[in-house]
Amino acid sequence: MKKLIPLIVILLTIFGLAHYIAPKLPPQTELRPLGEFYLKNSYFGEYSAKSPEVVTSILWDYRGVDTFFETSVFFLAIIGSLTVFRLNKKEERLAKQKPKEFTGGLTLVVKSVTKIIVVMILAVSASIALHGHLTPGGGFQGGSALAVAPLLIIAAYSKYALEEHGLDKTRALILRSIGLLGIALVALVPLLTGGFIMQNQPIFPAEIKGQLVSGSLIYYNLFEFLAVGGGFTAVFLLLAIPEKVFKEILGVGE
Amino acid sequence: MIAFIWASVILALIATIMISLYGIARRPNLVKKLIALTIFGDTANLLVVLLGYRVIYPVAPPVLPYLSREALSQFVETAVDPLPQALVITAVVIGMAVNVLIAVLVIQLYRLYGTVDVRKIGERLPALLEGGEQ
Amino acid sequence: MIEIQLIILLILVILGLIFSYLAILERDLLKAVGFSAVQAIAYSIALYILMAPDIVLAYVAIAVGIYTALLVFVVSKTTRYEVV
Repeated sequence: MKKLIPLIVILLTIFGLAHYIAPKLPPQTELRPLGEFYLKNSYFGEYSAKSPEVVTSILWDYRGVDTFFETSVFFLAIIGSLTVFRLNKKEERLAKQKPKEFTGGLTLVVKSVTKIIVVMILAVSASIALHGHLTPGGGFQGGSALAVAPLLIIAAYSKYALEEHGLDKTRALILRSIGLLGIALVALVPLLTGGFIMQNQPIFPAEIKGQLVSGSLIYYNLFEFLAVGGGFTAVFLLLAIPEKVFKEILGVGE
Repeated sequence: MIAFIWASVILALIATIMISLYGIARRPNLVKKLIALTIFGDTANLLVVLLGYRVIYPVAPPVLPYLSREALSQFVETAVDPLPQALVITAVVIGMAVNVLIAVLVIQLYRLYGTVDVRKIGERLPALLEGGEQ
Repeated sequence: MIEIQLIILLILVILGLIFSYLAILERDLLKAVGFSAVQAIAYSIALYILMAPDIVLAYVAIAVGIYTALLVFVVSKTTRYEVV
């Protein structure tokens, strides 16, 4: 209970200070002009991205280059963590072998529930990513939801179950590379027809067979979905290798 | 009343930033530093989202409800500012990737030094740099 | 009517403050990870109140799911208790 005394002091200070600065800090009620521009132009208007979802159209159209370089930061961070855990072919085979004392994961109840929930997570994440230009969601959100599914399998079964069914580190890296390559290609396509890098309208079709696809937004969302999901899955497959195996490989410790 | 609650929210977030800065600076364990760093990042993101909020009623998210021009003027009157939200989405996901990198480096430090306590790592570092065994 | 939303927001932010304080002071790192997850839940509801459904979708998956799992991995590969 001794811990709580500083906490109560902090809370009292907050409310006391708030009483004094409240008249000088009026709550904001007006939109900024830039935000109003985006709200008015995202679907209607002259500088339109043809998407009713204003946040996604800012993310991949109005401020597209910003997001492009954020994706390159993501690429570098994942590559950095993979480099620290680098293994050669022989060591990788060693890491894929089950240790002798491996018992097979959690109980039957957890495993059965996981089977159902993983399918649901995959469906929901694809829905979040591919409807990102119509409803709240997009590539980043769907990709981070997709990365939860392999994590659940690692927790309930093991990383070996995931690798036996074909999703090993190399495949996850290929998925991520397809995503990043797709983003770069979609960004460069407008240059062929005399546009700017990452231009959306009017180069990409806004509707395909009566379905609103918002030009390039759906392609960016799909590829970012693959890139984020694959990148996190690769890192977690490496993190799930038991520490004993790593100590053997590195030759440190006891 | 509204102004008082609004000021308290902002002050509480600033206090959380102070607490997490204390955690980053004064705790010796590297894992605890990582936890404090993520709390710091989350709170900073929440402050940025708070910049785009409008204290009006009713207030709506920045997603067009209907695809008609008549609904547009009412939408602009109620919707919050979308720009801070777009910046925060990338910050959340990319911050997570950077945290993964930091976590991997912490694990590698533990393999090499046998501890995650910065004071002990600091004691062992000069011996390692001179080339001798620790 | 906006007062109700603001009061809920204030409660959630104070909850985040309390749990981040507990997470920073806790010696057992697994418990600290749990406190930090509670703080993440409070912040995700606060983001919902702040009318940011896009961020909620990303933040729930990342801060409550992936990030907690990552820290449990790190704690299981290093030491569990913090020595001050």
